[in-house]
Amino acid sequence: MASASNAVVAALFTVALAVAQPVSYQRDVAPLLAARCSACHQPGNAAAGFVATTPLGVKKVANSGLLLATLTGEKPRMPKVGKPLSPAEVALLARWVAQGSQDDSGGKQELWWSLRPLPQSQPATLDSFIQKKLRDANLTPSPPADPRTLVRRVYVDLHGLPPTPEQTAAFLADPRPDAYEQLVNQLLASPRYGERWARHWLDIVHYGDSHGYDKDKPRPNSWPYRDAVIRALNDDMPYPRFVRAQIAGDVLYPDDPHAFALTGFLAAGPWDFVGHQELREGSTDKNLTRLLDRDDIVATTMSTFVSMTAHCARCHNHKFDPIPQTDYYNLQAVFAGIDRADRPYDEDPALSRQRRQLLAEKLAAQRRLQPLLDRVEFASSPAIITLDNRIQDAGLLLAHLGTPKNPADIEEKKRLEARRTADRAERQTLVDHIVGPETYPAIDKGKAELAAVDAKLAALPTPKFVYSGAAYFSRVGAFRPSLTPRPVHVLDRGSVSAPGPLARPGALHCLPSLSAEFPVTEEEGDRRAALANWLGDPQNVLTWRSIVNRVWQYHFGAGLVDSPSDFGKMGSQPSHPELLDWLAVWFRDEAQGSLKQLHLLLVTSATYRQSSAHRADAALQDGDNRLLWRMNRTRLDAESVRDATLLAAGKLDLTMGGPAVRQFAFKDDHSPIYDYAAFDPDAPGGQRRSIYRFLVRSAPDPFMERLDCPDPSVLTPKRTTTLTAIQALAMWNNRFMVRMAEHLADRAKGDPHQLAQWVLGRPASNDEREYAAKHSLANLARVLLNTNEFLFVD
Amino acid sequence: MQRRNFLSSFGGLALAQMLGQERDGLHHKPRAKRIIQIFLSGAASQCDTFDYKPRLIEKAGQPWDPGEKVELFQSNPGVVMPSPWAWKQYGQSGKWVSDLFPAMAQCVDDMAFVHSLQSKSNIHGPATFMQNTGFILPGFPSAGSWVSYALGTLNENLPKFVVLPDRRGVPPNGPGNWSAGFLPAAHQATTVRVGTPHPIYDLEAPSDAKYITMSSEREGLALLDKVNRSHLQTHAGDSRLEARIASYQMAAKLQLSAPDVLGIAGESPATRKLYGLDDPITAEMAERCLVARRLVERGVRFVQIWSGADNGFPRRNWDSHENLAKDHGEMGTAMDKPVAGLLRDLKSRGLLEDTIVHWTTEFGRMPCSQGSLGRDHNPAGFTTWLAGGGFKGGVSYGATDEWSYKAIEKPVYCYDIHATMLHLLGIDHQRLTYRNNGIDRRLTDVHGNVISDLIA
Repeated sequence: MASASNAVVAALFTVALAVAQPVSYQRDVAPLLAARCSACHQPGNAAAGFVATTPLGVKKVANSGLLLATLTGEKPRMPKVGKPLSPAEVALLARWVAQGSQDDSGGKQELWWSLRPLPQSQPATLDSFIQKKLRDANLTPSPPADPRTLVRRVYVDLHGLPPTPEQTAAFLADPRPDAYEQLVNQLLASPRYGERWARHWLDIVHYGDSHGYDKDKPRPNSWPYRDAVIRALNDDMPYPRFVRAQIAGDVLYPDDPHAFALTGFLAAGPWDFVGHQELREGSTDKNLTRLLDRDDIVATTMSTFVSMTAHCARCHNHKFDPIPQTDYYNLQAVFAGIDRADRPYDEDPALSRQRRQLLAEKLAAQRRLQPLLDRVEFASSPAIITLDNRIQDAGLLLAHLGTPKNPADIEEKKRLEARRTADRAERQTLVDHIVGPETYPAIDKGKAELAAVDAKLAALPTPKFVYSGAAYFSRVGAFRPSLTPRPVHVLDRGSVSAPGPLARPGALHCLPSLSAEFPVTEEEGDRRAALANWLGDPQNVLTWRSIVNRVWQYHFGAGLVDSPSDFGKMGSQPSHPELLDWLAVWFRDEAQGSLKQLHLLLVTSATYRQSSAHRADAALQDGDNRLLWRMNRTRLDAESVRDATLLAAGKLDLTMGGPAVRQFAFKDDHSPIYDYAAFDPDAPGGQRRSIYRFLVRSAPDPFMERLDCPDPSVLTPKRTTTLTAIQALAMWNNRFMVRMAEHLADRAKGDPHQLAQWVLGRPASNDEREYAAKHSLANLARVLLNTNEFLFVD
Repeated sequence: MQRRNFLSSFGGLALAQMLGQERDGLHHKPRAKRIIQIFLSGAASQCDTFDYKPRLIEKAGQPWDPGEKVELFQSNPGVVMPSPWAWKQYGQSGKWVSDLFPAMAQCVDDMAFVHSLQSKSNIHGPATFMQNTGFILPGFPSAGSWVSYALGTLNENLPKFVVLPDRRGVPPNGPGNWSAGFLPAAHQATTVRVGTPHPIYDLEAPSDAKYITMSSEREGLALLDKVNRSHLQTHAGDSRLEARIASYQMAAKLQLSAPDVLGIAGESPATRKLYGLDDPITAEMAERCLVARRLVERGVRFVQIWSGADNGFPRRNWDSHENLAKDHGEMGTAMDKPVAGLLRDLKSRGLLEDTIVHWTTEFGRMPCSQGSLGRDHNPAGFTTWLAGGGFKGGVSYGATDEWSYKAIEKPVYCYDIHATMLHLLGIDHQRLTYRNNGIDRRLTDVHGNVISDLIA
C-alpha cells in the first residue's frame, strides 16, 4: 500500500515539475531510474549491458531511442518488476530526451541527500521552515488548538496517558503566560515520560522477553535493558552516549551499570534456540544459524541508528544504495565474537572492576583449556560413530518409553540403560586411545585454573544479569562461546556453503565524512567499541538526521522522512529537507544531544500547537497533511489504550521497573504455552503500565495485537493503525476492558458525570445518564471506553 | 490526494479493493477463490506416504550410502529403512500410496503431487516459518495474511484468514506461523479453537461479567453509535472515525454469523460419516475439516488446518525420530479419512472447482533409520500435494533420487508452490509487494516460478 500511494505522490510531483522547469538529469531522471531500473541495471551486474546509474549509460540508451521504446507501449517491456512507469514519468523522460538528454551532474554523481554533509548551524525557528513551505503552496497554518485539546495532546504524547480531570483543570487555571512551557517541562521531568518514549525505542529495536522460533523460552534477564532505556531517557542521557552504550557500553563505560545494561540492545531480537543449542558444531545449519543471528544484529544496528538498510547487502551489493557486500560482512565481523547470553554486571564500580579482572582471567584460562576439551569432544573413528548411533538409539527409545508401567517395557528400559552404559564405557576407551594419555592431566590442570578463578568469582556478591552480547558464557548443550571472534567470510550469494575472502571489521564506506576502516583486532569488544564510536561520531550525519526524524515522527504522527529506518533510495525523500538538517545540527550542537530539549523545541512550536481540525480547502491541496497545515489526529496506540483505561479506572499501578509482568498463564513445555485468556486482570502485576508486560514473540497478547501492537520479532520504526471488526470486538468484549469498566463504575460511586470526566474529560450527556440509570454505570463505562472520543487524540 | 488519505486511513484494505479489481483477481482472471491448507506439523515423511521407492524395500537393513556425506539434524545415517506400510497403486493415474492413507489414496486422481520440494532449513522452527511465510526467520507475513492483503473479503461478516490449530496445542513457533508480520493488523489470522466453549477470542463478553445483559449490550451498542456519530459532527473530514463506527457494525455481524458457521449439528449423517466424525480416532480432525468446508463455503479466503502440535513428548505431531510406525501411524490414521472426506465433500458440492486444497509439511524424513525405528529430518526432498482450484488431478511433478532422499528432478521450493497458488488466485507473485525496512517484500522473496505443469 505504501508503494501504491507513493507512486501517486511521485506521479503528481513529477507533473508539477514538468510544468515548472526544464528536466534535469540530476534532479529528475537519475532518481527515477535509480528507483525503477537500477536493481537489474547496476554496475558489475548490468542486464543487457545497460548501467542505469551513470549518465553515460543512460545517455547511450536515451539517444538510441531504446529507453523510451522499452518503457512504453501497450505492454511495456520494462521495468520487469512492478507496474509500468506512469504516463507522467514517461512524459518526463521523453521531455528530457527531447531537450537533448543533457547531463547536468557535472560528471560526478551527487551524494544521496541523507549522506550529504550537514550545513553549519544557523539561527532559525522550526516554525519558519514549516511556514515557508505552506506559503509556497498558498496554504496557511491552522489556528492554535484550544487549551483543553492541547493539554490532552501533550499528555498523551509525552506520557502515553491522558491528563486526569484535576491535571486538566490545573493547566486551564494556570494564569502564567508560559503555563504551557511549564507544563511541558513538568511532563518531561516525570518518570512517565521515560516509560512512554522507551516504548517507541523498543519498537525500533524489536525488543522481546522470549526467544521466538520453536521452543520460545522466556528470557529472564532481558528486562534490565528495557529499564536502562527508560532510565536513560528519564536522565536525559546525551544521545551519542545512548548510542555508544547500546553497542559497546560494557567496553566504553564498563563501570557504569546503566551503560552496561544498555548493551541489551545487542540481544534484543529473536534467537533460534534449537539452531544454537541443539545443532552440532561445524554443520551447515549451525553456520546458517549463526549467520542469521549476526544478520539480525547488523540489521537492527544499522536501521536503528543510521536508518540504512545494510542488511539488503547480504547476498549481493545493495541494489539501490552505495553499500557493497563487503561492507555488510565487515559489519558482521564487528559482532563475530558475541552470542546472545546473560552477562553479569555490578552497581558498585569497585566491585565491577574486580569482576571484570576475574572474568578476563577466566576467559584466558578457558582459551587455554578449550583446545584440549575439543580434542576429546571431536575425537572420532568409524567405531566411535557406530557407538554414537547405538547410544543415541537407546536415548531415543528411552525417551519414547517415558516411565513405563507394564513389565515388558520396564524390562526393555533396563536393557536399554544397561546397553547404553556399556557403550559409553567402550566409547570412552576408544576416545582415550585417540587423544593420548597426556591430554587428561592437561585438562585437569586447565580445569583447576578455571576452578580457582571461579572460586574467587563465587566469593563476590551476587551480580545483576542482563541478556546481552557475550564473548564468554557457560556452555549449554551445543551452544558454546566463541572465546575469540569467529572468522567471517564474504559469502557468495549469502550462502554459507560459498565462503569468499575474509571480512575485516569495519563500517559503511558511503559516508564521506567518516572513515569506515577499523583497527585490526582479535578482541571483540574493541571491534564493537570502534563501531559504537563510528555511530556516535558528530560527523556521522546519518545518526543525527535519523534521530531527529524519529522524534519528529512520534510527536507529529508522521516523520519529515516517512521511512524512518530507511534513508536510502527506496525510502522516502524528506518533505522539509532544510528543516531536517537544521534540526539535526541544532540537536547535535545547541542541544548537545539532549532529547528533552528536542522534545521541548518540538512540542512548544506553533506547528505542534495547531488545531487538528479538518479544512476542506487545504485538504484538497494536501490531503496527507505533509506540509502540516494542521496537527495530525492520532489514535491511541495499544499501550496507551490499556494504560489510559487503567488510569480512568483508578487502577493504574505505577510501580517502575523489574522483571517483566507475565499477563498470561505460563506452562513450560517443549514449546512453552502462554495462555492469555486464563489471566485475571486483577491479578498481581495485571495493572502495571504496558511497557512492563512480558512480550512473548511467538504468542503476542491477542488484545494488544488487535490494537496494532507490533509483532516483537519485526523491526517496527512506525506502527500501522487499523480499525477492524476484530479490534472492535476486543475493545468491547475483552476481559480486561470489561473488568475495568466495572472498576470505573465502582470508583464513580453512582455519579455518571464523574465517570465521564475520568474517561473523556467532560460531563455525561443526557443520553449517557439515562443509559446508566437503566443499565448501570458499569455498562456506561464500557460504552465510553469504546468511543472515538476516548480513542482518538485531536 | 483525497484518495490517498482515504486509503491510508483504513490501513487494512485489500489491494484488490484499493485498485477496484476485486471481481477479476488482483492481476489476472483467477481460477481459484480460496485455499484450505492442511499443515502437518513436525515433518511428515514422504517415503512412508506418497513417494514410493522400491529400492528401500530391496536394500532394507543394509548400510545406506547415497554416495556423499550426509549431514543430519541429530544423528548419523543408519541403515536403509523401508516403510512399515505396504504400497499399492490407485486410481486412473496408478499412483502408489502407502497403506497409511487408504482413504486419501482414493482421491489421487484429484491430486497434483510435487515430490521435489526442498527446504532451506532442517530445523523445525525456521523450516515451518519458511513453508508459511517464505522466510526462515520470524516476523514475516504468512501466506494467509498475504492472500487477505491481496484479495480482501468475500463475506464481510467473517474473517478472511482463519486458523484451526490442533486441539493438542500449537505447532513450533506458535501463532508466529500465522502472523501478519509487517502487514496491517487487519490481515491477522483469526484463530478458531473448534470444539471448545469459546472458539473465537473476545467474540462475546466473559460470561462472569454479570452486569452485561442482552439489553444493556444492544442498547449500549446503540448508544455507542450515537455518541460516535455526534462526535463525528464536530470532527468532519476524517474517514477513520467513520471506519471505526462501521467496525462495530461488522463486529455485530461477525458475532451473529460465527455460531452458524461453526455449528455442525445440522450436517447430515452421511456427511458426518464421510469425514469420520463418528469415529473417536478421526473425530477431532474430522470436525475441523468440516468446519473448514463451512468457512470457505461462506467466503473465508484462507483456512489453515494444523495436524499436530509441537515437537514434545509424548509425541503429538509428525516428528517421528524414535518410532515412526507408531507415531506416524497414529497421526496418519487420525487425518486420512477426514481429509479424504473434505476433498470428496468439496467436490460433490462443486466447491473444489475454485478451492485449492494444499497438503504440506515443513520438510521430509530420511530414508535411513534413526536409531532402530525412527527417521531424522530431511530437507533435501519431500512431498506436498495440491488439489482443486485449477490444479491438475492425477499428476506427479518432480522426483527424488532412488532413495527418496534428494530432489533430483525439477527441484522446487515453497516459493514455487506459493507462486503457483497465487497465480491461480489471480495474483502475480512478483507484483504482490509490501514495503518493509527498505525492501519491497514478497511472499516469494526474490524467487518463485509458477509451475505451469501443475495447472489444468
